[in-house]
Order: sequence, then C-alpha cells, then structure tokens
Amino acid sequence: MSSLTGTGIAKHFGGIKALDGVDIVITEGEILGLVGPNGSGKSTLINVLSGYYRADAGRTVFDGDDLLRLGPHEIAAAGLARTFQIPRPFRTMTARENVALSYMFGQRRHSLAQARQAADQWLEFTDLANVGELPIDQLTLHQLKFLELARALATEPKLLLLDEVLAGLNPTEVEESIGMIQRIHAQGVTLVIVEHLVRVVTALSTSLIVLNQGRVIAHGDPEVVMQEPEVVRAYLGSRWEHA
Amino acid sequence: MTSRTKSLIGFGVVAVVLNLVPTVVESLDAPSFYVTFMFTAFFWISQSVSWNILTGYTGYFSFGQGAWFGIGVYTTGILAAKHGWPFLLALPVAGVLAGLGGLLLGMIVFRLRKQSGEIFALTTLAVAFVLASVARLYSFIDGGRGIFMTGTPLPAFLGDFRTAMFRMTFVVAFLTLLTAFLLYESRIGWGMFAIRDDEPVAHGLGVPVFRYKMLALGTNAFFGGLMGGVWSLQIGFVTVEDVFNIRVPLFVILMSVLGGLRHWMGPAFGAVIIYALTDRLNSAGLEDLNQVIIGGLLIILVLAVREGIYLRLRARWKPALAVFVLAIGVWTVFDLGSSLIWDFFYASLLTVAVALVPLKRQPDTAASPASEAMAASDRSPP
Repeated sequence: MSSLTGTGIAKHFGGIKALDGVDIVITEGEILGLVGPNGSGKSTLINVLSGYYRADAGRTVFDGDDLLRLGPHEIAAAGLARTFQIPRPFRTMTARENVALSYMFGQRRHSLAQARQAADQWLEFTDLANVGELPIDQLTLHQLKFLELARALATEPKLLLLDEVLAGLNPTEVEESIGMIQRIHAQGVTLVIVEHLVRVVTALSTSLIVLNQGRVIAHGDPEVVMQEPEVVRAYLGSRWEHA
Repeated sequence: MTSRTKSLIGFGVVAVVLNLVPTVVESLDAPSFYVTFMFTAFFWISQSVSWNILTGYTGYFSFGQGAWFGIGVYTTGILAAKHGWPFLLALPVAGVLAGLGGLLLGMIVFRLRKQSGEIFALTTLAVAFVLASVARLYSFIDGGRGIFMTGTPLPAFLGDFRTAMFRMTFVVAFLTLLTAFLLYESRIGWGMFAIRDDEPVAHGLGVPVFRYKMLALGTNAFFGGLMGGVWSLQIGFVTVEDVFNIRVPLFVILMSVLGGLRHWMGPAFGAVIIYALTDRLNSAGLEDLNQVIIGGLLIILVLAVREGIYLRLRARWKPALAVFVLAIGVWTVFDLGSSLIWDFFYASLLTVAVALVPLKRQPDTAASPASEAMAASDRSPP
C-alpha cells in the first residue's frame, strides 16, 4: 500500500535542473533510503515534498492530498514531517518548549497546557529528558540532532523525512542514531532517509532510490540496486563500470 | 490555581485599583498632573505593548506605529470633530480602520514571494509617509488646515476632561496588555514566537505563518489606532506634522527595546521608565538635554542588559524591591525630594540601576543537576 506517490516532480534553480521529472513511490511502513552523489537532488526532493520549496511541475499524492498544492503547514497537518541536516531549533525556547510547540501545531492542534505535559514523552523517547529545561545553546550537536527528531515526532507524522541525521556525528553517536531510527520505525512511522554513508543506508533501508542529476536512476532492493551498472557509474565514474 | 488564572486575577485587581485613582487624587486634593502623568503613561504603554505583539512576538521589525496611531487620531478627528459623531462611537471606528490598514499592508508584504525583515521594515516606514501626504492633500481629511478637537463633547459619565482621558486611556491600555498577555500564554502566541525564531521551520511544523503574521499586524494596528483615537483629544489641534512624525514609532521602539521584547510586560515597563524620565527632565527644565540623556541611557542599558530590564529585574526581584523600598523610605524620611512623584522617580532610577549591576557568574540552571550537557559545554549563555 503506497503512502506517497510522486510523478514528474521538477524543480529548477535558474538554469540548473535540481529535479528533472522525478517519479517516486513511498510504501507505507518502509524505510526508504535516498542516495546519490553530491548535487543529485536528494535534499531538494526533501525540500519539495515538505513544501519548503515550491515545485515547478509534478504531482504528489499523499493520503489523497496533492502535497505540491499545499503550504508547509498544511503538509504538516496531513502527517508529513521532516528534519534538517543542520539542526534548526527555536533558539529562544528550551528543548522541551521546542517539542511542545510542534505538538501544539503538527498534525492535530493541542492547547499550550496539553503540549507542556505531552512534550516529556518525546524527550524521553529521544533520551533528552535531562536536558529538556536547558537553553538551546547548551546542547551538543548530537543532542540537537535528536531534538530535531523529537520535534518532528511530536507532530505525530505518518511519514517522516530525515535529512542527513548522521552527518557530523562520531562513530558512537552514529550507532546510537541508527538505533533511534530503528526505534522510530518500530513505532509505525514510514521513513525516508537521506544519507551520505551508503553502507549505513544500505543496511537500514528496506528499499533504496538512487538519484543522479535530478533523476531517479534506480529503485528497489538496496543490495541489488547498489550493484546496478548505472549506479556504480554515477558514484565512481564510467572507468569502474567493469571493475 | 494555574499561573494564568493568578495573572488574570492580578489584571482584575489592578483594573479596580487604577480605576479609582482619579477619584482618590481629587479627594486628596493632590495636584492633578498625577492624573495627566498616568494617562500619558497609559498611552505609551498601549503603543509599545501593541507594537511588541508584532515585532517582539513575530520578529517583524516595524516602523509603522506612527501610521496606526495617525489613522486613529484622524478617524476620531474627522468623525467626532468634523461630523459631530458621539466620541465613543467614533473611537471603535478608529481602531477598526487602523486594524484594516494593518491587514491591508499585511496582504501586500506578507504575500511577497521574496520576503525579508528589511523589506517589511522599510514598507512600514513608507506607510506613514504616504498617509501623511494623503492627509495633507485631501481636505476631507485635513488638507493642511488641521482639526480642532477642543470642543468635542464627551459623555458626562466619564467625568471632567482629565478623568475622562484617564478612564479611556486606561481601558485601552488595559485591553492591550490583556491581549498581549493572553497571546503570550497561548498556542497562537507560541506560534508567533516560533515565527520569530525560524519562520520556515515553524511553517513546516504546522504553524500557519501567514495567518499569524496577519493577526499580529492587525492587532498591533488596531490598538495603535484605538489609542490614537483617544489621543486626538489630548493633542487638541491635530496637524499632519504633529501626528505623522517619527516621534511615536521611535519612542515605541526605544521603550520596548529597553523594557525587553521577550516578555509581554517588557515594553510596558520600558514605556513607564522612558516616559517618566522625559517627563521629569522636562519639568526640571532640561528639555534640551532630554534626548542626550535618554539616548545615552538606552545605549548603556541595551548593551548591558540585552534581554531588557524587565526580565533582568524579575530575575533579581528581591534586591530590586529592597532598593526601591529603601530608596522611597530614605527620600521620605529625610525629605530629599520635592514631591511624591520625584521620590518615586529617584527610587525607580535606583531600582533600574539594580539591573545594571554585573552579577557573578552562576550556573544558569541550578535546578537540573546531573546534566552531561552542562559538563560538556564550556559555553555559557550571555
């Protein structure tokens, strides 16, 4: 059962076609890995799906809504959330207030009083309970990345887009984050993960989409997809095709 | 009882007490300028608190306060003085027209593809200029002749002129503060804070940013205009030059920044301090030095107390209160001041000075002990 179907998604910046007619199917309950060389359009795709950029063409059906016609807040209400590669917390709020805010809005509306109560559950889930009352500038990068997750989860999404959750973390933190991603998935959230560490994505995801120069060049089982000649060529150049 | 309920009770008590002030002043045979002092303070409180609902809450810096104020002044001026409307009927129209003006501006600037704080700020500045020219050009507004407000009849139940001004400014200031407080303690207000911190992220988390920015701007303009509507009476002779100048937007910014943009009370606090300061300096015959002193004080305070003196003093409320009580006591016992208002003024200045005392560095969150983040973090917030 598909959760999200996108067809012909296009986005250009000036003369550069960042997305050049992307077709994408996200199946409910999967972890979809999104990989590709630098500049292949992974982050642009996340930005378009979450409404952060407005697509130039295409159609994205998510639970019956055409996402490309909705504003970001309506997309959030439809049950789609995202995280940012470089954490962007609300800096005048504590970690707890950040989470409370997204619970107040998000998919359903809740009052401030409800949100203050409810924030704890996501702070605990992401191991941030002990830093909940601290000002944001006292959190480490690792904690800020988890706060991005907590805040996205507090919107109660059906589909969560994770943009480079692992970037910039040390090996221990990467292990912890992988565990966290698996726990989020176990809660029944469909995930799309964008990641540079191909090894990690291949291990985590249930299916994989490879983008190159704004186009989907492969989609399928991770192990199989990574062997495909076009994927190898995209990553390593044609010289290695037969290596 | 929640803190919100407590605050609402506090609002009620303050309302009842302050409403009695003109009567008490009269029965004590105290100088009536106390009443004038207070209603002028209410004027500035309302202007800066309403400005803060837009700029402090959503982060969109506005120079437009003069425009909303001016729409209000001219609305009651035209309707009540020129067309003989009952003043209290013209007054809500002043607020509504200014509010609609704000919404119209919002429809334009908040719909732009490329939005930025600079564009917003400059646009708000331009609005007052445009309105000033329009008022000067068309004789049904002003046409360069000005409007005499002095004969405007007021309903008898409001009392004499001073008392009437007190009551009307008080009600408007009260409603402004109440609105600011209710927003501050609500989902909508928090949505606005999120817009201030990072608008795209707030939008993506589900905050309807356009609607909230419109709401903030509309509320700001409405109260600015409502108080402007009252204030036309105090101006007496309304002219374009007196109304659409930089004074209102500038003072509102100074007051709010001084008091602090991060709390609903901050701008009210700053308004009282700056107004009291200008008033005392003027009455001491220092009009010329006025701006120098206020400018200097502002620079010092803004650099030293970035969060605004309201939050700083609240964090140090014990020493602040002690200094205030002590100062009032010393001034009264040794009879240093010439009047109650001077005693009060000196005591307030000393109290504000408490905010300036640099404090030895403390752990910011003594309440949360075993936090690895604190151990790991060598930064401490400003």
